[in-house]
Amino acid sequence: MSGSELPKLARVAHAGHCNRCLSALPSSHIQIDASRLAIGFYCFGTLDLLGSIYEKTKEIEREGWREWLWHQQTNRPYGTDPEEYSEYDTPHLIMTYTAILSLAILRDDFEQLDRNGIVRFLQACQREDGSFTSFPNGGESDLRQVYCAFAISSMLDDWSGVDVDRAVSFIQQCSSHEGGYGQQPTGEALGGTTYCALASLYLAPSVSDLHAPNPHVTTDERRRTIRWLLQNQASSGGFSGRTNKDADACYCFWCGASLHILGVGDLVDRTAFLSYLASCQFKFGGIGKAPEDRPDPYHTYLSLAALALFPLEDADPSWKLPRLNALWNTTEDTADWIRQHVPLYTVKAQSPVRK
Amino acid sequence: MPDIAGDGPEEQPLFSERPDWTDVTPVPQYEGYNPIAPIFYTPQYYFRGIVKTNEKSERVLELTEAIIRLNPAHYSAWQYRYHTLLAIKAPLDAELKLMDSLAVQFLKTYQVWHHRRLILTAIYSPPPSNASGLNDPTATTSSSAKSKPSPESQAAARTELAFITRVLMVDAKNYHTWSYRQWLLAFFDDVHLWEGELGFVERLLEEDVRNNSAWHHRFFVVFGRGQLQGEEDRVAVLKRELSYTKDQIALAPNNASAWNYLRGILERTGTSFSNLRSFVEPYTKTHEDRLGDEEILDLENPAPSAEAELPCVAALEFLADIYEKDAVSKSVEIWKRLANELDTMRKKYWEYRIKEALKDVPVQS
Repeated sequence: MSGSELPKLARVAHAGHCNRCLSALPSSHIQIDASRLAIGFYCFGTLDLLGSIYEKTKEIEREGWREWLWHQQTNRPYGTDPEEYSEYDTPHLIMTYTAILSLAILRDDFEQLDRNGIVRFLQACQREDGSFTSFPNGGESDLRQVYCAFAISSMLDDWSGVDVDRAVSFIQQCSSHEGGYGQQPTGEALGGTTYCALASLYLAPSVSDLHAPNPHVTTDERRRTIRWLLQNQASSGGFSGRTNKDADACYCFWCGASLHILGVGDLVDRTAFLSYLASCQFKFGGIGKAPEDRPDPYHTYLSLAALALFPLEDADPSWKLPRLNALWNTTEDTADWIRQHVPLYTVKAQSPVRK
Repeated sequence: MPDIAGDGPEEQPLFSERPDWTDVTPVPQYEGYNPIAPIFYTPQYYFRGIVKTNEKSERVLELTEAIIRLNPAHYSAWQYRYHTLLAIKAPLDAELKLMDSLAVQFLKTYQVWHHRRLILTAIYSPPPSNASGLNDPTATTSSSAKSKPSPESQAAARTELAFITRVLMVDAKNYHTWSYRQWLLAFFDDVHLWEGELGFVERLLEEDVRNNSAWHHRFFVVFGRGQLQGEEDRVAVLKRELSYTKDQIALAPNNASAWNYLRGILERTGTSFSNLRSFVEPYTKTHEDRLGDEEILDLENPAPSAEAELPCVAALEFLADIYEKDAVSKSVEIWKRLANELDTMRKKYWEYRIKEALKDVPVQS
């Protein structure tokens, strides 16, 4: 099947799905209450990729979301102003990452960003083995948190909150015999955490160029990782997250972006890839993990992000998406906004370190 | 990454209607802000009331249980529950029993397993003393003040392993469950427990030889703890693992898990792939081609069965990797076949392998 024979990307329907999720989610979704900032990011990210933030939402809504997001920035004990938060309302590392991205998508000026507080928060979250917990003194600690800490530091352009060498050592210990990276040092190779490992290693401050050899990845490791990643492209064209598991749309991003970061994105069978994601579109909007599955913002966003990384020449124009920054996982336009507004000191001329 | 369960909330006692909760002021959440994706549920408001007064009591256990049954991902409720259990010196084995009943319902939720780790650690080794007492006691760094579990705990470890085995019956590839098993083995660090794992993995692979989590666990148990004793042991271990893996490949040759395992153990032990050439070659031919070969029963190199789908792509890849060192033109021949005929999904990868290999070959005139 060539690119031109594929069904269209149902842009309006997918934007509608995410818009609805932003307004309300049913009580059956209680389990994601603690992750609403992440859900928000997947919805905003979808609208950003579809170019419909300004079309589909009103300024008053965007202002309200920005205000709500800023209310989630806690100011104690890591920030500067005391407020009515208990130790059980601590900030959360992953939610901090998604909040910054969401605010950037909403084009906030970041005047309210407590940069020092965030840096101290990162320091408090890093463990002796180099990993990071979701919040100080508790919560899970694995490659996902490491990635968020690296992404935040890189967006702030301030690495003083992170002991990079120790974190890199932890990342390297997560490399499994199969070539991918597990969630923690004993873990089975998994697509999501492989992305977290590679994105972190390429965001690290000592790395200057996405195209030069990375000092933290040996030639052998790179070869094995590439082999494992490509082995995960199933006959349906989609990617699975682990060996001998079924394809899942979100792994099209995690594995696809990993290959892109390693400089071998061209090795993915793009037509099959697109055809799989096209078939995951739900008839009433949104994208699910597999054909016929119910959609959700997470799979919708990641599918679109994957498609943005792997454009197909002869596909219908509905599939045309903006360029994606694979390391931060946001559009290049939003990445530019981040570079101009998130660090404390921004250089007006283009930074030589273009990630 | 969030896993959306999609099950409806259970019937909950209305805390607002209970006389034993009238002294607590519920703290609502959405004053004056336009929240993103709001989800409304009230036990959480009582939780915030309790936290504000720092209450640690029996009824807090009831409240946090109600919350985690509604929302097993509510990490603050879990954390507060753990601190409450310790503060009121609640019986932790009862807590473990409660977790048993929640585990299957919520087995895809990280917090259920993290809490279990905390409880096990609290029972079998006291947390290291520090000012706040809030340090994560499950840190496995060797430099910490973690005390070694007592000998009596071997029985407890076996009970836990049996529990994990039961959960794996429900979902044999659940990532959290396997991670927990790996943590548990390292935590108790008992040589008998480690040894029992080989049989356990074998039983799982008998049910599903393509269970990659089981293969991964085997690698962790055999090579991951870095505790191989002496040179003899190393050789014997490798021999045993090669033999086992070859048998599984003979059973089901088109199984990426087994081949990844084989490659992994060779790379890990620094053993050349070419040692496996006589084993691999029969798998690279079609059944027809093999008819010409002599039928030798070689127990060291089990041959593919008559039902096996041949040629096996992974075997061809393996052979090409052997040839890459000193007969690269043979590798190129294989990669071309894979690209154009046998593994066309990865056509660009095989062409990339050709390009990369030829880059290193000096140009002959």
